[in-house]
Amino acid sequence: MDGDDSKIVQGAERYKAGVLKYKQMGYWIPDYEPRDTDVIAVFRITPQDGVDPEEAAAAVAGESSTATWTVVWTDRLTATEKYRAKAYRVDQVPNAPDQYFAYIAYDLDLFEGGSIANLTASIIGNVFGFKPLKALRLEDMRLPVAYVKTFMGPATGIVVERERLDKFGRPLLGATVKPKLGLSGRNYGRVVYEALKGGLDFTKDDENINSQPFMHWRERFLYCMEAVNKAQAATGEIKGTYLNVTAGTMEDMYERAEFAKELGSNIVMIDLVIGYTAIQSMANWARKNDMILHLHRAGHSTYTRQKTHGVSFRVIAKWMRLAGVDHIHAGTVVGKLEGDPATTKGYYDICREEFNPMRLEHGLFFDQDWASLNKLMPVASGGIHAGQMHQLIHLLGEDVVLQFGGGTIGHPQGIAAGATANRVALEAMILARNEGRDYLNEGPDILAEAAKGCSPLRAALDVWKDVTFDYTSTDTPDFVPTATASM
Amino acid sequence: MRITQGAFSFLPDLTDEQITKQVQYCIDNGWAVSLEFTDDPHPRNTYWEMWGHPMFDNPDAAALMYELAECRKVYGDQYIRVVAFDATHGWESVRLSFIVNRPKEEPGFRLARQEMDGRNQRYTTISYAVDKPAGSRYA
Amino acid sequence: MSDVSTEDRPETAQAVDLHKEFESSGVKAVLEDLDATLIGLAPVKQRIRETAALLLVERARKQMGLAHETPTLHMSFTGNPGTGKTTVALRMADLLHRLGYIRKGHLVSVTRDDLVGQYIGHTAPKTKEILKKAMGGVLFIDEAYYLYRPENERDYGQEAIEILLQVMENNRDDLVVILAGYGDRMEKFFESNPGFRSRIAHHIDFPDYSDDELFHIAELMLRDLNYTLTPAAATALKEYVALRRRQRHFANARSMRNALDRARLRQANRLFQANAGPLDAEALSAIDEPDIRASRVFRGGLDSDPEPAA
Repeated sequence: MDGDDSKIVQGAERYKAGVLKYKQMGYWIPDYEPRDTDVIAVFRITPQDGVDPEEAAAAVAGESSTATWTVVWTDRLTATEKYRAKAYRVDQVPNAPDQYFAYIAYDLDLFEGGSIANLTASIIGNVFGFKPLKALRLEDMRLPVAYVKTFMGPATGIVVERERLDKFGRPLLGATVKPKLGLSGRNYGRVVYEALKGGLDFTKDDENINSQPFMHWRERFLYCMEAVNKAQAATGEIKGTYLNVTAGTMEDMYERAEFAKELGSNIVMIDLVIGYTAIQSMANWARKNDMILHLHRAGHSTYTRQKTHGVSFRVIAKWMRLAGVDHIHAGTVVGKLEGDPATTKGYYDICREEFNPMRLEHGLFFDQDWASLNKLMPVASGGIHAGQMHQLIHLLGEDVVLQFGGGTIGHPQGIAAGATANRVALEAMILARNEGRDYLNEGPDILAEAAKGCSPLRAALDVWKDVTFDYTSTDTPDFVPTATASM
Repeated sequence: MRITQGAFSFLPDLTDEQITKQVQYCIDNGWAVSLEFTDDPHPRNTYWEMWGHPMFDNPDAAALMYELAECRKVYGDQYIRVVAFDATHGWESVRLSFIVNRPKEEPGFRLARQEMDGRNQRYTTISYAVDKPAGSRYA
Repeated sequence: MSDVSTEDRPETAQAVDLHKEFESSGVKAVLEDLDATLIGLAPVKQRIRETAALLLVERARKQMGLAHETPTLHMSFTGNPGTGKTTVALRMADLLHRLGYIRKGHLVSVTRDDLVGQYIGHTAPKTKEILKKAMGGVLFIDEAYYLYRPENERDYGQEAIEILLQVMENNRDDLVVILAGYGDRMEKFFESNPGFRSRIAHHIDFPDYSDDELFHIAELMLRDLNYTLTPAAATALKEYVALRRRQRHFANARSMRNALDRARLRQANRLFQANAGPLDAEALSAIDEPDIRASRVFRGGLDSDPEPAA
């Protein structure tokens, strides 16, 4: 361990048995220019006291690629320079003196095509437990087109989903059936029918509705499809319900998905906790069976929410676009769950754009070309109601599913009335927006006008007028200071 | 029964002035607007009859409103919708669609059930209107 | 009426400053631009100023609730070819747009062939297509009298005329139609089609340009193309103008454009054949006397030469 640490040790000297600094092993190359085909990751690193940030970055590069804690002679049997990840840039995080953004480039040959499991095993494999770091967070990734092209992407995509549903020019409306737990299949279907007949496009199983003692999955599927078909005939409009096929094994999931297909459902649902490989398998199944695939991001907050450690949700969103789901919960900003407006916009950009330009203010560290992979419909769900319609459209745009669970089922005049209130509010706001009105500022007036001809909307506005969730976000961009939107 | 296809079916029927504004919004976005009509509003009836081609070169909504007046003269007793197409790469499909004319009476749909194996049902949605031959459905 | 409060009629203006409106609407700018960039045409400019004033007042009256109907804005532009009718129509479209009488302000310029079809059932869709394209702007129909061919009873032009008249009446908010052509022929056209006469509110006659004006127009055209006339060429061009006017197919400014196009061709040939080594910008830009005098206009014009007139 003698001499200048910043100097790369080469040749026989490099592979002498012992322990070298990562920088000396060639994992820190400040003048490296990433190639178009490199996968690039940016990590937020918090080194242990006294650890040089460049050495920490090199360590992350090493541990997420070829290195092990000691020198191995078998490296010399390989084109090791190629396989070594290269940390090439370390920037201090604004307003956080102990944290650094480390940029690391990985050669494309390090990854198996079309496998999120393989990508993640490298990038977030062992390295997150590495002792010289207090904390480590994967902030963003640049996926080269060459790699993007090895994935099929969303099975359906926003455009084809809209074509299948014959719904254009407005956000879609959904609701999660409540209560989450305890309804029998028969009672559950009642909620679905009322909500769809009242004006929603979709209803949704909650993430933990699978097949429990109170309701076997087949009961749920059968009653839900009765409700969907009845609502379709009652309105002349296509309806759907996300049948959650999440189960203990792939075999069970396939069985449930096949049954959903047999019953004529246009959409099935899975939870993020089933794992990346299972998600990709279900995406393949969905593609083969003309099915829209809804993903509930159950569990993500365990690793996405804290700013210093874990994986940013923007990275999860990128992986899910590659993996091939059609819907993903991506935050509401104004609702009950975590979501800073600028950071959330970044997630939505990742889902919906053909090309993401670098936008540090939205937390996007890189240009990302999606190479015509289908677009992914973001879903806003959790603590939102009709009175926020102008804000939701302003923040989230038109290609989004707005899910009003409590805001539909908790309506004082009943579920159908709750659904109608949401739909009328939505249509009135889109009409006003298209007419060129300043709908964000005139929003409450537009809603009040629409409510004159719609007593369910009037009731909804009265009941929920004061409901807001105004807490400081934990996951905010580092480049522009913001707080959660205050309503 | 009021069918709720299209973007604005939950609002009172749009006035011509309101339709004009929506159409101008579409044109200003570079979308081609067109009219389609049908006497069979089944939710899976994708291809309504076209009233002329989409208007690719008309900068003002008056052009569509002129055709709408003509279309209503002939098919005023049927469903007519405005459809706006966006040719931008990555979309290349409909951007907005909304109903601008309805028959006076909307008879709606019947749901037919066929009992299958086990408890499965096979569902079929049938427009009451198509019980009558084409041309006399809303007479 | 004094008991009607402003609250009841919030849209009604109480007073109007015409001069302010004149400036803020941009009408002033359009008229100034017209003056600055169009040579001659004094009577035309005068008529446009009058029309603009009328429309400005009409707009103010509407704002005050004194007028309700959209005034008839269809026009006829009569005059010989090359007298600036299309150019003025473009400015008129701009003017009407700034005054809020048309929503988009574009000009769609057509002739009979664009409106009238070749077989049964062809004309109506063709005419409607053009009308729809023009909606929000101005439809300019050049040599409008060709729509009407009394010698052929079953001419499809009649169908176009009927649709045109209908739209001119029913869609006055949506488009303005300008019919253009020779004065005498337009007069005959209106006699046989009184429907048009009654729907046209503004007649503007475009006189021929004087020799001086034409010479000046030619100079401006050359300046725009970065060419210059040598003094001898300028003299030749003045003679050319006087001669050309008396020959066949004279088309005012358009004849000047054609003459200059040919002069540029001759200049290029002259430079090429002289083969006099490197040429500077001045040499490449100068139109010289022979480039003008080679025209057969100096040799009796079209009748003396099989080439088409220039």
